[in-house]
Amino acid sequence: MPLLVNQAPVNVALRKDELERIARRLGRDPSVVELHAFDAQWSEHCSYKSSRHHLKKLPTAGSRVILGPAEDSGILYLGDHDGERYGVVIAHESHNHPSQVVPFEGAATGIGGIVRDVLCMGAEVVAVADPLRFGRIEDPDSHQRSVAVGVVDGIAAYGNAIGVPNLAGDVYFDESFDDNCLVNVVALGIVKESEIIHSYAPRDADGWDIVLVGKATDASGFGGASFSSLTLDADDEEANKGAVQVPDPFLKNVLMRASYRAFSYLREHEIVAGFKDLGAGGVMGCSAEIVSSGGFGADINLDEVNVAIEGMPPEVIAVGETQERLLWVLPPHVTPEILRIYNEEYTLPQIAYNARATIVGRVTKEKKYVLRHRGQIVMDVDIEFLTGSIRDELPFTELRPNELRDESIVYPELSTDEIVELLPRVLAHRAVCSREPLYRRYDAVVRGMTVIPRGAGEAGVFAAVRGGNLGVALAVAGNPRYGRLDPRRAAELAVVEAVCKVWATGAEPIGLTDCLNFGNPRKPEQYSELVSAIDGLAFAARELGLAFVSGNVSLYNESTTGIAVAASPIVACVGAIDDLAATVTPGFKRAENAIYVIGNVSPGLGGTVFAELLGNDDDNIPMVEYSELRVDLELLRSAMREGLVRSCTPVGAGGTLAAIARATFAAREAGRSLGVELAGEAYFDETPGFVVEVDDEQRFLKLAGDATVRRVGTVSKAAHFVVNDESLHVEDLYATWSAPLAEVYP
Amino acid sequence: MSARIAVPIFPGTNSENETLALLRDCGGDAELVHWSQAETLGRYDAYVLSGGFAYEDRIRAGAIAAHDRIMDFVVEGAQNGKLVFGVCNGAQIVLEAGLVPGTGAVRGPTAAFTRNAPEPHFVCRHVYLKLAIDPSRCAITAALPKGALVPAWAANGEGRLAATPEHLLEIVDGGHLAFVYANADGAASQSASPNGSALNCGGLVNRAGNVLAIMPHPERDAWNFNHLDRREGKDVLAPSGGAVLFKSFVKAANS
Repeated sequence: MPLLVNQAPVNVALRKDELERIARRLGRDPSVVELHAFDAQWSEHCSYKSSRHHLKKLPTAGSRVILGPAEDSGILYLGDHDGERYGVVIAHESHNHPSQVVPFEGAATGIGGIVRDVLCMGAEVVAVADPLRFGRIEDPDSHQRSVAVGVVDGIAAYGNAIGVPNLAGDVYFDESFDDNCLVNVVALGIVKESEIIHSYAPRDADGWDIVLVGKATDASGFGGASFSSLTLDADDEEANKGAVQVPDPFLKNVLMRASYRAFSYLREHEIVAGFKDLGAGGVMGCSAEIVSSGGFGADINLDEVNVAIEGMPPEVIAVGETQERLLWVLPPHVTPEILRIYNEEYTLPQIAYNARATIVGRVTKEKKYVLRHRGQIVMDVDIEFLTGSIRDELPFTELRPNELRDESIVYPELSTDEIVELLPRVLAHRAVCSREPLYRRYDAVVRGMTVIPRGAGEAGVFAAVRGGNLGVALAVAGNPRYGRLDPRRAAELAVVEAVCKVWATGAEPIGLTDCLNFGNPRKPEQYSELVSAIDGLAFAARELGLAFVSGNVSLYNESTTGIAVAASPIVACVGAIDDLAATVTPGFKRAENAIYVIGNVSPGLGGTVFAELLGNDDDNIPMVEYSELRVDLELLRSAMREGLVRSCTPVGAGGTLAAIARATFAAREAGRSLGVELAGEAYFDETPGFVVEVDDEQRFLKLAGDATVRRVGTVSKAAHFVVNDESLHVEDLYATWSAPLAEVYP
Repeated sequence: MSARIAVPIFPGTNSENETLALLRDCGGDAELVHWSQAETLGRYDAYVLSGGFAYEDRIRAGAIAAHDRIMDFVVEGAQNGKLVFGVCNGAQIVLEAGLVPGTGAVRGPTAAFTRNAPEPHFVCRHVYLKLAIDPSRCAITAALPKGALVPAWAANGEGRLAATPEHLLEIVDGGHLAFVYANADGAASQSASPNGSALNCGGLVNRAGNVLAIMPHPERDAWNFNHLDRREGKDVLAPSGGAVLFKSFVKAANS
């Protein structure tokens, strides 16, 4: 039901109690512009009103943390090169609602937005990743199928054009995503610690210029923040489409390069400035947050905003979420040179219609937020009231995690015949099969810094600094098959899985980000899943000594029929490599090497591919014993240090046997035709662990100590997959594994 | 004598930094030249056009950039015998400008790098380029061994050579087919092509041998850390693999 202001309807998602609070504080009825401004700022998307107090449970500090979750991105200490301390900038967000409505544009603008979050910290953007969750895609005419294809094409079109390699990601298909796909995006940047630019107005910023940079503001993306904080309603399809922004990667490519040029100018002249991405809430949201987090107010003239269409209402100029825009807070003597860089050197006005850098207002000492339009004040509010934290206390119950190791559940005994019959079915399962048909559309090697490209292993690795030996590994995880059964332990497993993927490359994990994709927080059973997942993330991160430095919450991922997505805490992990030569590359290397499994076998079969194929309905998902895991990780680390590990594949969906198969496939893709001969205990269990290829077994076993290791076989010269006395061909398994998604992504 | 090499940047170019870094690591005296400084391009001795999406690939990849001010200098330089090396989007621009195969008029292309087939979209895939001409036929390949195999990454949506049968015949007869796609073992094969290119073409040279256009990116497989399993020597930062073609380019530019 639209709200009436001066008899005109205003569509906002603010609740009655929130409207009353605003009117009480202002001492008058809010203007239309103010209503839209509060609608955006107080949306879940901007305010985290129902999650912020729970997110406080996450560990956010540590020796590697340069900047925790306070600004647009977090920053982790990577290492030193040439006497400088380098940081990895990381941001992680969702673009779920837009991608469901307009898949190509929704996903593309997801990449566009996350890239700006990293850029505005003064960093060079060097990698992206895309954890994706789609519905059932079997029917080629279904909307789910067009979402699954359109999203991938949108991510490809944007990331490829701006020249940022896509180095990690995953995809799952599950019916709970039929009405709500999940499109998470992660971006990484590299910055010298001494050259970080913050997303707040600096200490002396009173009277400084507020400079808007980028695309001309249009009517796209109006109401985006509150739209993403609502349950999608099929009847509002047209209105929903209007809330999605329009991507322009061509302009972004130029904007990024122009911004790099502006960074170097500011560095050379030792000028401190503030820089921030325009996201939710548009000009208003960005300018209000950048000044208020510096303890200032702002006075902005909307007539100075470069627009694409004349005569737009002030609320659209103020809160519309047109893409490809950023905002500087600059000392006035510097402004002309920055404007020259964007407008003349990088010719923004010739790149896109009316794109430019322009002064739109100034920073004020008084903590008020004022918007002017055609000589009138259309917004005038206490800035701390606008941007300050609001909080919704919602009911929830603490979900009980499944029992700590239920001894009554045992891993089923399988005959060799049964294993050999199951293996191709496991490899062809949508949770396990090759993702290459998707990621081959992504540029994984632009910048020429890639060490392990997307897909070759479970984590991507790249050289961090040109001419330097530092490397970065990046991986994502979050299996919805576990989330559906046990949100708390699924969150733990997401952390552990992402961390193990990073370890497998020889990198040391240094930090985490999370995106919490859940249903409707106003339904206690759905809200409880969110709260429990946060507990799980916090627990696992503490057990592993890691901090979360950035993250995002996406709620209301619920269809109109009330079905929420499977609980989806999605985690990204960043790892540091001191010496690129120490990177462990994917795939078996040499015949005769021994294959060991590091890690225990957890009895939990819930959510595993194997259990589904056997019709087993165990709801205990795999469990992590952290004390054992830490010992196992220590073995892996020391074995890698001593150069004993020739390849390492983390165990994931499909279990240990699928991991062994993937190591033969990775070898094949690298031009090494090898097979395996297995005689030991290799299963389909999905307990986190590693398949490692070892050439000096004596030394490896000497190191093993208390770690849980078992020898499962050897790498063979013949490209066969032998289990005890049965034999399959690697080539056949590879074909089986490669086929399923090739049909969807031709 | 050290030649001055320009790496011009069009709006939309995205591979300029790795191209510059590799040229320098191969001993080249190279600089980036931004589109707003196009007027300075006449001062350079050789040009390397790098990858990206110049002018958003509007109409067809390279079609708009071929008419940019930058290309006035590149075309003039090519006609005066300066070396011009186009990679990926750079190759598309060089072709659209009519410099390769160079069998028609300037800015009157006789072929196109067009939409990939059978996968009609961007494809990122590791490939090998095999030298299909006598090395000395092209100044830029002169330092390569006969039949040299150059590792590279194909990363484009429009890399398939297309032309009329008559023009394809001209390409073959005139010795313009510089590189074809091959397997790791060196066997040229259409199945090694990422894009269904006519003649299995991965690269074209002009008649005079001073302009080379290749679709895949050797500069993305050009340092030991890009290919740890195939590294040449211990230094992970040393240029190797695809760098061989850039070394040959720099040698030719400096001679």
